[in-house]
Amino acid sequence: MAMTKSQRRRASTIVRYAALSVWALIAFFPIYWMISTSFKPSSEWFSWPPIYFPHPATLNNYLNVWFGAQEYAKDQYSISSQKPLISLMNTTVIATTSTFLSVLFGAILAYGVSRYKILSETRMFQLLMLRMIPPIVVVAPLSLYYTAIGLNDTRTGLILVYFLTTLPYAVWMTKSFIDEVPREIEQAAEILGASRWRTIFEVVLPLIRSGLVATFLFILILTWSEYLLALIITKTHVTTLPIELSKYQGSTEGRVYGRQAALAVGITIPLMIVGLIIRKHLARGFSFGMVRR
Amino acid sequence: MAVATLQTGGAPDSVSSRESSRRRGIKLFKIALLSPLVVLIFCILTPVLLLQLYFSFHQWTVYLGSWWDADFVGLDLFRSVLTDPRFGWAVVRSLAFATGSTIGCFIFGFLLAYLMYKPFRGQSFYYIIFILPMLTVPVVVAYTAEMMLYRDGPVNHIISFLIGHDFRVSWLTNPHMALTTAALLEVWNWTPFSFIIMLAGLAAIPKEPIEAAEILGASKWRIFWEIQVPLLRPVILLALVLRFLEAMAEFPKTWALFQGGPGTATETLPVYIFMTTWQYFQISKGAAMSYIVLMLMVGIVLFAIYLLRREKHVLDAMYEWRETEMEA
Repeated sequence: MAMTKSQRRRASTIVRYAALSVWALIAFFPIYWMISTSFKPSSEWFSWPPIYFPHPATLNNYLNVWFGAQEYAKDQYSISSQKPLISLMNTTVIATTSTFLSVLFGAILAYGVSRYKILSETRMFQLLMLRMIPPIVVVAPLSLYYTAIGLNDTRTGLILVYFLTTLPYAVWMTKSFIDEVPREIEQAAEILGASRWRTIFEVVLPLIRSGLVATFLFILILTWSEYLLALIITKTHVTTLPIELSKYQGSTEGRVYGRQAALAVGITIPLMIVGLIIRKHLARGFSFGMVRR
Repeated sequence: MAVATLQTGGAPDSVSSRESSRRRGIKLFKIALLSPLVVLIFCILTPVLLLQLYFSFHQWTVYLGSWWDADFVGLDLFRSVLTDPRFGWAVVRSLAFATGSTIGCFIFGFLLAYLMYKPFRGQSFYYIIFILPMLTVPVVVAYTAEMMLYRDGPVNHIISFLIGHDFRVSWLTNPHMALTTAALLEVWNWTPFSFIIMLAGLAAIPKEPIEAAEILGASKWRIFWEIQVPLLRPVILLALVLRFLEAMAEFPKTWALFQGGPGTATETLPVYIFMTTWQYFQISKGAAMSYIVLMLMVGIVLFAIYLLRREKHVLDAMYEWRETEMEA
């Protein structure tokens, strides 16, 4: 049956919305499940048929997990030996410090590459190897080396290694912003007598500050959720949130989905907020600045 | 050189000495800019790689005494890794996992981007929903998957409801299913990556050739294959290459969810290295294995870099062209 042009257009619009909505459901359902489970009382964690809307919804999981509040643990699944708030503080300190270092030194390096060619294009691509080689191949000697120099199980140790592994992203992403700054501005600053360092810190970096913020938040996503290095380098003294979450696995009696979910939501929400703030810059970040909008 | 040389008058002598001190200044400045990277590489990366090399030639485990007087065993460790069938299977699994999940991410990412690159009502709503999976922590994905995929869980329940009869797949405990489950999780987690890159790529395609082709009466199908796909090639390769490399290194989900099991069904390279080193405490075998994987990955990465470098030039040329177009 032949369709007129407008009918065909309408049909294709409907197909588009249907396809997009199906994927939206697939993309969102696990996140919904995590959030809803975090509000479920223990009787609803694994019942058949599964319960899609927690009833009665409860905050006990959050209170018990995050604040170790025993009085809210009205079931046998109370966990108070863990210390998520301390882990939260560790993660915050480690992620923000390493990200800050990475962006600061990355921007300086990127400026040197953009204006003084301190790294050839080949070297710039070799720098990417720091990110592209799986970290698993170096974690064992790194842990022994850190033990030898006293950095094992410390925040400083983890900060340094995050700094190193996120540096390629920082250099490439900030370089893509610096390349967009017209050079005439720096020349003007030089004529006015500004030193080279002042030109960087008072002329170029302020001009790309929104780019620097985007880079910072992007790298924060990576350092906030890092798992492998944190698992090996920090064990007992310092714990980050992703490791804290994995402690709920097997360490306690059976499956404690509600508690896990409450912790997982707490870890994920800050990340989602950060990611949504810089949603326009995510493509640039993940492609090392090669794809722009 | 980026910074313009100031032409000043004066005696030739003072000009040349000023010029030479200026050159020296620039050289020092360049060294200062580069020093943090050099320090980091020499203080962290180099010792670690040397230590790894040491262990791959010296037999040591944590039960023995100090590691610095371990026995030199030559190439024995490399031989034992290369004749270990578990290692061979780990290579196969890693390649299968990375290839499968990369293709999956690409197909879904491309379809979504193609459906969304033109403005329509609700575009930003869908965009936000679609990037959410990428903004979850990988371990969280693993544990949430566990909450959903157990045999009497919501996923089997929903599928049963949709197809109308009882559907109970053991996503996590069936050895024939587990690696596929891991790959599906990877696809769920990282389709947003392919999606945003393709979307940026499609949005950046110049409109003139498409409009010209439409005026000349080309079908949508031909425009797609003969204009859009060729112009998208750099972005497509970028999405495939970066995703493949990340998938080769994937550890948090496979480890947190499966620990290599059931049996050895999900033992990818990172998982097997991790188990050898931290569960069997065969530090030296793990080191030899790591070096082999390092070499393998360096090979793959060098090829990837060759591709990326070529495509980056195409992309840069396109962005430059677009900028001059906008100015005109």
